Amino acid sequence: MVDLNYLKMSKPQKFIHNLGKFFMSLPGRIGGGFVKLGRSIGGFFKGIALAIADLFTTFKNGDWKTRLSYLVMGSGSLARGQWGRGLMFFLFQTVFNLYMVNFGMAYLSKLGTLGTVATEKVGRKTVYGDNSFLILLYGVLTLFFVLAFIYTWYMNIKQNRIAQQIEASGRKLKSTKEDLQSLADSQFHKTLLALPTLGVFVFTILPIFFMILVAFTNFDYNHQPPSKLFTWVGFENFKQLLSSGSANYGDTFRQVLFWTLVWAFFATFLNYFLGMFVAIMINKKGIKLKKVWRTILVMTIAIPQFVSLLYVSKMFAADGLINTYLMKWHWISQPIPFWTNPGWARFTIILINIWIGIPYLMLIATGILMNIPADLYESARIDGANAMQMYGKITLPYMLFVTGPYLLTSFTGNINNFNVIFLLSQGKPMGLAGNAGHTDLLITWLYRMTVSDTNYKIAAVIGIMVFVVLAVINLVVYNLIPSVKNEEDFQ
Amino acid sequence: MASLKLEHIKKVYDKNVVAVHDFNLEIKDKEFIVFVGPSGCGKSTTLRMIAGLEDISGGTLTIGDRVVNDVEPKDRDIAMVFQNYALYPHITVYENMAFSLRLRKMNNEEVHRRVCQAAEILGITEYLARKPKNLSGGQRQRVAIGRAIVREPQVFLMDEPLSNLDAKLRNQMRAEIILLRKRIDTTFIYVTHDQTEAMTLGDRIVIMKDGYIQQVGTPQEVFETPRNLFVAGFIGSPQMNFLKAKLVKSGNGYAAELYGIRVPLSEEKCALLAKNGTGTQDVILGVRPEHTQLVFNQTENTIEGTLRVNEMMGSELHLHVDLADGTSVILRIPTLDLTEEQRRGLTYGSKLRFTFPEKVAHLFDPKTEESLLFQEQ
Amino acid sequence: MTNNANVAAGQQKLRSKKGHERRVNGTIYTVLTVMSIVWLVPFVFLVLQSFRSYKLEKGGMVDYLLPKHFSLDNYAFLFEGSNFFSWLGKALIVALVAAAVAAVLIHLCAKLLDRGEDSHGRRIALIGGSLLAGFVALVAMTMAMQGFTLAGSWKNLAISLLLYALAGWIMARVYLKQDSKLLRTIPGYVLEDKHQGIKKFCAMFAEFGALALIIQCILAPMTMSQYVRWYGNTLTIALFTAVIQTAIVLSVSYSLSRLRFKGRKLIMNVVLILGLFPGFLTMITLYFLLKQLGLTQAGAVPGLILIYCASSGMGYYISKGFFDTIPKSLDESARIDGATRFQVFLKIIMPLAKPIVIYTILMAFMAPWGDYVFASYVAFGHQDGYNVAVGLYNWVNTNDFQNYFTRFCAGGVLVAVPITALFLALQKYYVEGVTGGAVKG
Repeated sequence: MVDLNYLKMSKPQKFIHNLGKFFMSLPGRIGGGFVKLGRSIGGFFKGIALAIADLFTTFKNGDWKTRLSYLVMGSGSLARGQWGRGLMFFLFQTVFNLYMVNFGMAYLSKLGTLGTVATEKVGRKTVYGDNSFLILLYGVLTLFFVLAFIYTWYMNIKQNRIAQQIEASGRKLKSTKEDLQSLADSQFHKTLLALPTLGVFVFTILPIFFMILVAFTNFDYNHQPPSKLFTWVGFENFKQLLSSGSANYGDTFRQVLFWTLVWAFFATFLNYFLGMFVAIMINKKGIKLKKVWRTILVMTIAIPQFVSLLYVSKMFAADGLINTYLMKWHWISQPIPFWTNPGWARFTIILINIWIGIPYLMLIATGILMNIPADLYESARIDGANAMQMYGKITLPYMLFVTGPYLLTSFTGNINNFNVIFLLSQGKPMGLAGNAGHTDLLITWLYRMTVSDTNYKIAAVIGIMVFVVLAVINLVVYNLIPSVKNEEDFQ
Repeated sequence: MASLKLEHIKKVYDKNVVAVHDFNLEIKDKEFIVFVGPSGCGKSTTLRMIAGLEDISGGTLTIGDRVVNDVEPKDRDIAMVFQNYALYPHITVYENMAFSLRLRKMNNEEVHRRVCQAAEILGITEYLARKPKNLSGGQRQRVAIGRAIVREPQVFLMDEPLSNLDAKLRNQMRAEIILLRKRIDTTFIYVTHDQTEAMTLGDRIVIMKDGYIQQVGTPQEVFETPRNLFVAGFIGSPQMNFLKAKLVKSGNGYAAELYGIRVPLSEEKCALLAKNGTGTQDVILGVRPEHTQLVFNQTENTIEGTLRVNEMMGSELHLHVDLADGTSVILRIPTLDLTEEQRRGLTYGSKLRFTFPEKVAHLFDPKTEESLLFQEQ
Repeated sequence: MTNNANVAAGQQKLRSKKGHERRVNGTIYTVLTVMSIVWLVPFVFLVLQSFRSYKLEKGGMVDYLLPKHFSLDNYAFLFEGSNFFSWLGKALIVALVAAAVAAVLIHLCAKLLDRGEDSHGRRIALIGGSLLAGFVALVAMTMAMQGFTLAGSWKNLAISLLLYALAGWIMARVYLKQDSKLLRTIPGYVLEDKHQGIKKFCAMFAEFGALALIIQCILAPMTMSQYVRWYGNTLTIALFTAVIQTAIVLSVSYSLSRLRFKGRKLIMNVVLILGLFPGFLTMITLYFLLKQLGLTQAGAVPGLILIYCASSGMGYYISKGFFDTIPKSLDESARIDGATRFQVFLKIIMPLAKPIVIYTILMAFMAPWGDYVFASYVAFGHQDGYNVAVGLYNWVNTNDFQNYFTRFCAGGVLVAVPITALFLALQKYYVEGVTGGAVKG
């Protein structure tokens, strides 16, 4: 049904209408989200229940090969002549058993306490006790390994069931050669994804999981394994980061978060509009040397940031070229405190970031400007629009529509934009509690917490907070974008 | 060079969307079969299942005497021509056509022979060194067909191959496909939404709608004895006119009453009606536009209407006429049958009268939409 | 009268419009010129200051821009104690000669084969024989150049022989097959088809150049200054990362774009969520994992390669976006033509995805040059394991930067020049990648 009243509204009215609609629908959405979450959790448990029921029926109806597979993985496949699969399953089980007996069980059992035996000095010898770090890391690893084992075990049984069905229907089972051939064809995704998945698992998922758990322990400079133990403390660290008071980081956290958001906002939108502006200038009909202008600007992308940013940060230093020349010319008598005054430092960072960021946006905007169908402009000109109106009614909405998702990624990226801050100011000037500086982003603060303060527990909590902030922003914007899309559909 | 058997073929997407229901068809060796229907009827899905590009959710597909449900497309020995040609843009026409042969590790001489022969048949020899982007639409279409011919496949699949061409080229290519078929003589399955293509190309036509087969038959069968309202309306252009009528007993047989006229039905039709157990009831009477006649000097047993649009097609006129109850019908009248004066009288809003011979009337049940005269062959 | 007036008014209007246009363009030119100056000035300053001698003048921050004496002292310092130039010169000469010899040999083989019977054995004998001769020449030349002071053992010789045979085999295939679409070398992939001759020579030279360098590294390693070592570390990391990361990114994006399998959506959602965690959160865990593998400090180079590549599969968005634009019917057509999915990937998608492949390589190659955080953390005080970013950062940010500032400038210039040249040469592909990525999010 077409809502004619809505169509009658002016742009601002429409915007307010949409915003209102969004907030009105928010409880519903959140409720819906919970219902969906509940449903998917329910679905998950239902799936597990079904799988367990499946295990029983398969056992009941299975032949001896299938039944043997419950105990010895892969034996069914081996007995059916699929020795490739069978061997893989069997090997996996062997490795798992060896791992658990020799290694995994010990760590898994201590996961509850993270170790109780402290390291002591007995005379001149150090007697090492439990290492909480290793217990936590390998405990988590073992946990994952157990889950993987259960899944593989289930797959092993499922395959037996299917094989049995195929045999019953008189068809032939896949031979090992066919299995291998299918890895280049129908199972090609397994070949392609095996290594990347393993990499992401070991070097991203496992560490993130580990650090999330660290946020609930007292792992810091006072509790450094192997000489000291650390243990679970519940939500203690979250309290310390979020509540105010002299021993807590609440005030610092709020200040840093505020600056992080301000920075991300300016870094994203200032660059966006200025970059678009530059692109429009360069692409204007009648402007010559387009390629030259573009190439000059692109230099800041080409040159590695550690060269350009380090150099520029020195240019703005108290004894840097800018201050010394301004003083030589007697424009100023004191050096401008580019890096020592909080306000100046923030301003300078945003300014230099424009220098880094405009070219990038200029390239993107150029690509999109060229994609705007020319007949849109022609029909607008026939309808009597002037240059400004064409910009406001065609170029800008088109750009915003096409780059909506990009703005979101860019905002996310800027919240985590470590390089610019670190290479320019290292977070200085310092002066906030918790060893944070006035230009610190959450991510640079996190870095300092990890590297120089070795306060891992708080670093972990900051990391989780960054995740929460980003997740909230992403969810809200994703929910808002469709309404934008409906209004200005160019596709 | 193989027959196909599709038994209870079914396609289900996402566990609940059924695209093809219980599709049963036997295709004889060297037969030219056309799947036709409106978009979304499942014709392309069926073709893609035969090709192996879609999984088959249920039923068995047999090519020759091999069940191929789980066989990869590359091992089915089929060739396919796509709607958008799907030529590999980065290699020359020659390499495009040789691609499948090289994958089969055929020796160079044989590859060369086959490619040249196919290029000869299709008249694209001079373009062999070009890349696809330097070809016109018609030429690309030929290359796509050539790529399929060199394979010498058991089954030749074509998925709306002409729908990206302009009208003139389409007619030309259609004729060429008929010739081509004579030369390479293998099993063809051709998908189209265009009933003209279906009628002119197919040995048999499979008409589909909403995932169900509506009717299978030779072009003549589906044209003369459509099985239901949908087939009757789909085949033939302009579309068949459907008029509300009443079936009444008349003597030993039946007659149809509509718009104040009474059409006694022939003995043959009456026999079929009796066999199908039809009594007196409301029916839909179908008449094709080309079977109507204008009547100028007689009022009884003719239907009156008001002329809305008069389309001059050259050799014939298409008259869009509104009847008393608002039903719109189309009459297709050869220009030669009218005098100059009669033609001039056919202006907007003028009244006219028409009739049709009893022989061409089709009768349908308004509830089931099935034909009341259909008889399994 | 009125008519004339109208015409005059029209002309007036046209003229004023033209004037307006000229003013607008003038403003734009002014703005662009100012911007260009602002954009280039820091780099000009950087280059200028790199010529200020740290011996004759002050090496730190001074209150003037133009050096009083232009000198190359800073650059000389970077290479102090290294035989870099003579080493490279020798390697290049060896590479050039080897490439030329191989070209002649392969060409002769091709000629002979054209004339004679097309027998497989003969072919192998000819190519193998000539390649062996070439190899002996290469090693002999390397040895002669290094003055017969090799510490080379049979193992080293065997490794080089293997590498040589591999390169020779690839070259022979590229060269012998006139219409070969197996673009196996990077120059062969980048250059357009019309430059067949140049392409072949570039490919050949690049291959033999790399080969000669590797053989020299094995048989006659160069002595390095600190800076050369850092540079070498970074280059090694960048090269390996470029190759491995590209392979991983393309595999992942191809699977997610073209293949349909259970768990595809799950993988994409998990990656989306993982992407919201800040990268440095996991730093200590990664450090520990690397330490367990012995890949920290002295092993920092392979350690960093591992870190950069391991999770790179998560950055699949842009190339997946590109793959999504290639019509699916091409895959389907190829599969009906008899290709496995692997062959579809290799023969259809890879050649068509050339812009995005180059973009991915470029990005993967450039990223390691700028990484300070992981590089410093993993190398942790072990100077030989630094990359240039860490080394130069320490020069400029440690307490004695007063003396190292101009040397930092010189080091920065030597990093920036080749990277910038590479970037500008491949700018086209970069633009294609970023715009595609931005539009699709």
